[in-house]
Amino acid sequence: MNAKEYAKDYTHEELMATIAAKEIKDGERVFVGIGIPMIAGFLAIHMYTPRTTLIFEGGYIGGRPPFTCTDVGDSVLGFKAPYITSLWRTFSDLQRGYFDLAIIGAAQVDKYGNVNSTAIFGNGTYDNPAVRLPGSGGANDIASSAKRILIMVRLEKQRFVPKVDYITSPGYINGPGTREKVGLKGGGPVAIITDKAVFRFNKNTKEMYLSELYPNISIEEIKRTVPWINIAEDVRVVEPPTMEEIEFIRSFDPTDIILRRKRFFENIDFQSWVMLHKLKVEEAI
Amino acid sequence: MEDKVMTLKEAIKKFVHNGCSITFGGFCGRNSQAAAYEIVRQGKKDLTFIDDSPTDQLDILIGAGCVKKVEIAWHGVSIFARALNFRRAVERGIPRKIEIEDYSNYAAGLRFLAGAMGVPFLPTKSLLGSDIPKYNKRIKIIRDPYEGKPIALVPAASPDVAIIHVQRADVQGNAQIWGHLANDDNKARAAKHTIITCEEIIPREKILQIPNMTIIPSYCVDAVVHVPYGSHPWSCYGYYYHDVLFQRDYSKYNKTYEGFLKWLDEWVISCDDHVEYCNKVGRERLLELTKMEQMLNKIPI
Repeated sequence: MNAKEYAKDYTHEELMATIAAKEIKDGERVFVGIGIPMIAGFLAIHMYTPRTTLIFEGGYIGGRPPFTCTDVGDSVLGFKAPYITSLWRTFSDLQRGYFDLAIIGAAQVDKYGNVNSTAIFGNGTYDNPAVRLPGSGGANDIASSAKRILIMVRLEKQRFVPKVDYITSPGYINGPGTREKVGLKGGGPVAIITDKAVFRFNKNTKEMYLSELYPNISIEEIKRTVPWINIAEDVRVVEPPTMEEIEFIRSFDPTDIILRRKRFFENIDFQSWVMLHKLKVEEAI
Repeated sequence: MEDKVMTLKEAIKKFVHNGCSITFGGFCGRNSQAAAYEIVRQGKKDLTFIDDSPTDQLDILIGAGCVKKVEIAWHGVSIFARALNFRRAVERGIPRKIEIEDYSNYAAGLRFLAGAMGVPFLPTKSLLGSDIPKYNKRIKIIRDPYEGKPIALVPAASPDVAIIHVQRADVQGNAQIWGHLANDDNKARAAKHTIITCEEIIPREKILQIPNMTIIPSYCVDAVVHVPYGSHPWSCYGYYYHDVLFQRDYSKYNKTYEGFLKWLDEWVISCDDHVEYCNKVGRERLLELTKMEQMLNKIPI
């Protein structure tokens, strides 16, 4: 067997996608949103877990689009989809317990994995916030009822806070036993995947801790950004992406709209955009 | 057979009134874009917008000053930008302050299902332990009377008007939808009045070939409007793909409120109707989007 060939040139977003992909087990039903989570899902199917089913909240389930969607209701998600349904049905299946893993984003996250995507209060209030964010969307439902949750967020001081201004999507709320007490069905967050490190949760205290570092990132750097963070005894360094992973990720995003490695997408003209997508469809047919 | 066909101008004039509550169909695809533009042209005011996760249709209505209150789970515009008109309104009252009631997507879906069932609320295991019920007092957490465990109740939504864009309908309003359904089966049933906008009006005989695809029956429809490319720039399964570059350009204008007003004038106010808007987008461009979509998805009959 050939040794793995690691990519020399890759972005943090690409690394995040490969790490998230490895959290998926074969045959799992995975609820994903737009952007890197969706790329991670299709990377997993392409390279590691071909029996994985991806669920998109508008009602597209199990599709195999030839290129990345640019919104969760894009018709490309219907390509080779065995099942298309409604939004309330998709979430009912989630609540019923059919879905194993889900990936959500966050504007703020706290030590118990509670996520805020509603409003940053600043000096204001819920009604008069410093920054109004988009709101829950399906994230609250996903965090409530999926068996395992991955949170994807940039590692920045203002995003990692001891307590979020507003719990949009519950993690372990106030600590051990709280999810059960308030009546939630799902298992809660298992990992936070950032652009510098991966955090996981202590089984007993339910507090997040630094678990894995990216190449060339130090524990001190993480501590400077998140002074309150717990550190695992054996912090390991993640495996960089392989050439094969990077090739798939880039070809799945032919216009660079998700990855934004270059400023290519800002100026692409309509005809070139059409051509790049048509080539991908022809490959897939 | 009753014929409910009218123009978009007539339908909006007849059913959308100042101060009414309204919802749009679709979900990041098959959206009621043309209807939103027409509501702006007619200068409707003080609307309460009830929805799951509205996109640029709502951002445009807020920026145009048509909206008083939103009851939603999420509001963004596209992959390029946040809903900046929504932000300007909430954070700075530009062009006016709006009220917000936050839900989750499932909660929003259940609100329409409750409305469609004619019951006052539905229960869910979402929302528990979060701050959504803390700030939205219309959500109640109770002990479920059977097992004694906590459960959240969300109030039914029965908007005054639902506007749903579909692929095909007959003149009476039997509406057939392909691709994701979002919450449209329930929105149409929950609303007091439902306007169907469609890519094609087809003869009853064609409906009879696949009656299972009639997602919205004529008895909950008040108006049928023929609006080809009615959800552009969003995708419409089987008809055209998502014109994401158009949204890129919207987001460039929308960075400032002045920029937005310029966009609004160019693409909405100075176009008499959706035909003129489509001509402005370019017929060749729209045809390319159709070709692209039909490489991906075709409606079988």
